[in-house]
Amino acid sequence: MLPDTTVVKTVLTGVARAEVTATSLGVVVRVPHEDTAAVLSALKSSDLGFVMLVDLLGTDTDEDVELTYHLRSFARDEELYVKCSLPHDGVLHSVWNVYASALLPERETAELFGLTLAGHPNPARLLTTDGEQPLLRRSVPIRTLKEVRDR
Amino acid sequence: MTDPRDTVLTHALQAEGTFDPGRAPAGIKRIPSGVDGLATEHLVVNIGPQHPSTHGVLRLVAELDGEEVMNVEVAVGYLHRGIEKLGEHRRYHQLGTLMDRGDYVSGIHGELAAALAAEQLLEVEVPPRGQWLRSLMSEVNRIASHLVWFGTFGLDCGAMGQFLYAMREREALLDVLESVTGQRMMFNYVRPGGVLDDITPDAEQKLRTFLRTIDSYLDEHHALLGGNEIFQKRVRGVGVIDRETGLAFGLTGANLRGSGVPYDVRRDKPYAAYTELDFDVPLGATGDAWDRYLVRMEEMRQAARMCRQCIEGLPEGDVMAKVPRVLRPPAGETYACVESPRGELGVHLVADGSDTPYRFHYRAPSLFAMQVLEEILPGHLLADAIMLIGSVDIVLGEIDR
Repeated sequence: MLPDTTVVKTVLTGVARAEVTATSLGVVVRVPHEDTAAVLSALKSSDLGFVMLVDLLGTDTDEDVELTYHLRSFARDEELYVKCSLPHDGVLHSVWNVYASALLPERETAELFGLTLAGHPNPARLLTTDGEQPLLRRSVPIRTLKEVRDR
Repeated sequence: MTDPRDTVLTHALQAEGTFDPGRAPAGIKRIPSGVDGLATEHLVVNIGPQHPSTHGVLRLVAELDGEEVMNVEVAVGYLHRGIEKLGEHRRYHQLGTLMDRGDYVSGIHGELAAALAAEQLLEVEVPPRGQWLRSLMSEVNRIASHLVWFGTFGLDCGAMGQFLYAMREREALLDVLESVTGQRMMFNYVRPGGVLDDITPDAEQKLRTFLRTIDSYLDEHHALLGGNEIFQKRVRGVGVIDRETGLAFGLTGANLRGSGVPYDVRRDKPYAAYTELDFDVPLGATGDAWDRYLVRMEEMRQAARMCRQCIEGLPEGDVMAKVPRVLRPPAGETYACVESPRGELGVHLVADGSDTPYRFHYRAPSLFAMQVLEEILPGHLLADAIMLIGSVDIVLGEIDR
């Protein structure tokens, strides 16, 4: 179910400069990256009750990396997406203090998009080995069979 | 004061070339020796990646004090194949093939999530028979997957017999899946627009035979493992994940329901034919390993119940909607999720109007179930840690992607 955009706006008044829109994905809150933790914590503790961070993913939009935080409220059966953008050499500020479920997805997103992880208890790589390229950037090509054979 | 074991350690580490004189070895914290002069130290042990009870290639870096786990860190990535990146270079039809290799124990669910996401973007309506077959095959696959969990969970607790019985039942289900899809594991059966093929008379016959006996066999399995006093002593009250911890760590599926949160994607965000099927959502009370065990056992019974309803109520008609050979969804973003045996399996698609996804992301329920291990394992005995890895039912294929 879709949350009421005006209610979401009211909750975020005074917390951050938030832009609330309804898209094909659902209700999306766009905020500056510095305010993400404050916004998530406000949404979690509000009456809306977004108690779970379902997922966290990055998308390389060529100009920047867009982060999507997918929240769920069981009390009201609603879903909300919080989006923010980071430059390609940006610093991803951890929100694990608000949602512990961000711990591993943040590590994965940071390594696969070449971001620096800050405020994380264990900012090590998760999936790939040291020195690997930021694989999910659009500018990193996948290897063709020929390239693999020639290596 | 010198610890008599210092010299031994120094020699051992110098031989490996990792010892830096003047500095304590990394990861080993010295505890002052006790009154009787016996020194204890924390030992860092790598469990896995090649270990039968890590359910794939999970590596646990465990800090032990005697037999007690003090701290644990999970290390993954040994199966990383770049499924998300490959998905950006495949057409929408081909995403199911990648999803099969994620959670390889329950491939149908992965394919279904990818197909649902593509259908949401394309606004395709799946014919009723296709919807019902999706539900039927999902439930068949769910029982097969839970049987693997049931067998191996017992192995983790030191029981052997139930594994062989579980594999016997699973064989019957894999025969059904093979007859319908042509494959025993990497099905590639659910496609955007419907399913590949209709159920065969042979498969229907085999499934009916299976469903006649499964309930009484499940009672037998439960008596064999769950009725065992040693097993109950191992799992009851151990590895408690309370409601708040479960929600904070993003648990879904049987792990979250074991903690008493009544959330099931099939009921709360229905897909395929689940609105027309009658089933119960079992819940645990305390969130210990025993509750998770009971929830999964009951889910198998409910899945069998749904299979019967599906076979009886299967509507006539096409199994596949008319979709173009090359799918080009309009630009947009969507999220579709299914209830896989491991929890909420979601696919997040960003389309740009071309024939390949701009971004293909896969929410792996096992990743979140594995995260909670770092929280709950400290304080348990090493043997219980092995049991608890089994109790949250993870598949490393979908964690590493």
